[in-house]
Amino acid sequence: MTAAVALPPAPAPRVSDLRRDVRAYRAMGRAAFRSLVAYQTSFLFGLLATTLAAVAMLYLWRSVLAAGTINGFDWPAMKAYLLVAFVAGSLVSSYVDYRMAGRIQQGDVAMDLVRPVDYQRSRFAEALGFGGYELGTGLVVAAAAAAVFGGVPAPAHQSLGPFAVSAVLVLPLRFGIVYISALVVFWTRNYIGVQSARIALITLFSGGLVPLAFFPGWLQGLASALPFAGMASTPALLYVGRLAGADAWRAVGVQAAWTVGLWWLGRAMWRGASRQLTVHGG
Amino acid sequence: MARIEADDLRKVFRAPDKRPGLAGSLRHLVERRYTEKVAVDGISLRVEAGEAVAYVGPNGAGKSTTIKLLTGILVPTSGEVRVNGIVPHRNRVENARGIGVVFGQRTSLWWDLAVRDSLELLRDMHGLGAAEYRANLDRLVEMLGIGDFLSSTARRLSLGQRMRADLAAALLHNPPIVYLDEPTIGLDIEVKDRLRAFLRQIVAEGTTLVLTTHDLGEIEDVCSRLVIIDQGRIVHDGGLRQVIETYARERVMHVDLAARPASLAGIATRLAGATVTEERDGLGVAVTFDPLAHTAGDVLTAIQAELQVVDLRIKEPAIEDVVRRMYAGQLLGGPDDRPDDAPDDGPER
Repeated sequence: MTAAVALPPAPAPRVSDLRRDVRAYRAMGRAAFRSLVAYQTSFLFGLLATTLAAVAMLYLWRSVLAAGTINGFDWPAMKAYLLVAFVAGSLVSSYVDYRMAGRIQQGDVAMDLVRPVDYQRSRFAEALGFGGYELGTGLVVAAAAAAVFGGVPAPAHQSLGPFAVSAVLVLPLRFGIVYISALVVFWTRNYIGVQSARIALITLFSGGLVPLAFFPGWLQGLASALPFAGMASTPALLYVGRLAGADAWRAVGVQAAWTVGLWWLGRAMWRGASRQLTVHGG
Repeated sequence: MARIEADDLRKVFRAPDKRPGLAGSLRHLVERRYTEKVAVDGISLRVEAGEAVAYVGPNGAGKSTTIKLLTGILVPTSGEVRVNGIVPHRNRVENARGIGVVFGQRTSLWWDLAVRDSLELLRDMHGLGAAEYRANLDRLVEMLGIGDFLSSTARRLSLGQRMRADLAAALLHNPPIVYLDEPTIGLDIEVKDRLRAFLRQIVAEGTTLVLTTHDLGEIEDVCSRLVIIDQGRIVHDGGLRQVIETYARERVMHVDLAARPASLAGIATRLAGATVTEERDGLGVAVTFDPLAHTAGDVLTAIQAELQVVDLRIKEPAIEDVVRRMYAGQLLGGPDDRPDDAPDDGPER
């Protein structure tokens, strides 16, 4: 730090850097959680829409699988798969990117640049805050659906370890994709197209709608290498025990690599994006 | 070393140059053309601790862009900038710890949180200790009168309340440098006065203040130095008093009369170089004069020799006049001999 200038002495000792940062990001996460609680109605309407879609999927697959097993999925396994994918998909819903995109479009991002916190870490802290609420409501809905559809099997105990790791990685991985797509607004100045493209890619390649096992071989190979599989397919397959042993850890490895890679890609993009920021007027 | 050091700062924006209509948009897809707009064109500036600088200029002159370069929001196209010894756009987080910023058009509050919660978030971001936070908050609550709406959500505040809450948010961590960009939008006179007093106080305590405003009364009240910018360049940088003496030296004496005079020519011949104009439907006279050529006493004597005076006021030049002249392209010509037809909103005596 080169600030050897005569700053006026702080009247009271301030807390250490690390403690200060932990406190700051925790406070931002809490504030995000609270603002979601404040907008419960709109959030719950969004949740209702995704719940209805999930219920429709469950009915569809129940009738499809009534005849027996397809591609290695029987009805109880498919039920569990879809519900795990539903809970994973409810994390990092549109709040993080709507906020970001809106602030970038309207130039309010200027205010974020004069706060003494890292932009990406701040957004991640908020995603964690929202995530607490999203996870809670997602689990409640999934449990209710499980009860209505006659229960789901417990997680496969042979892949419990990789499942736990994979489950923890879902939120940071989804954050990576969502954060990067919102940053694109710096160049496009418009978010609607970017968001639709992102949602389409996630829906298709995450396996949240149709398990990747139902794809043709070459597409399966592609999908398992892309970051989207880790957002639903990987944890759901681990839960039902379809991925085990070395395969399980390989899938978790791909998921972890994407999580870290997207974080750094996001950092690089932010550097470029904030360099070319133009804020006109005000 | 100065608190703020800017050397030859330039900022060029590139805007897509689309021709009108659908055809123009389609054409833009194949043939990209851009217009370059130079917003800031080689600005050099040094501001010391405890200095209060007014940064003024017409709309679109580059004031806000300069502030955004100094705060690290924008990256300069070329040139050097250091604030508290830090390059702001390269080290935004570090820079943000040492500055407080208010953009009148935007808010730094969290829209769906209570003001108090926003301030507590900022407390945590700046790592303020409990005692320091309490002391600063108490002071700001008192100075800005924000106690009544600390528990309201930011979205529910009126413009004036929001401005005050934003000022509190910017000053909460006692920053050594404060940038205020149009900070008095929506404030009523009483709050403005309190704010000015507060700004004077923090400047006296060593805070560096850069203020852009259209409210020129504020400048005279708070700032000692005036920087005038036009078309991205600094056209004047100097002491406020000196500017007024150079560019707005003339005084205007307004006189109310008992009866309509037959002619004003007599006054004009008694006061060489002064301008005499009729006011109030002939029941008043305004005499514009240079105090170095005639004293106020001379002027009054000359008027009284011709007419019966009921009442009088002398209008001192205000910074409004200087800037108004600059807007009219007259600044470089210095004081002119046109009568002052400005509305009487300056300080009068």
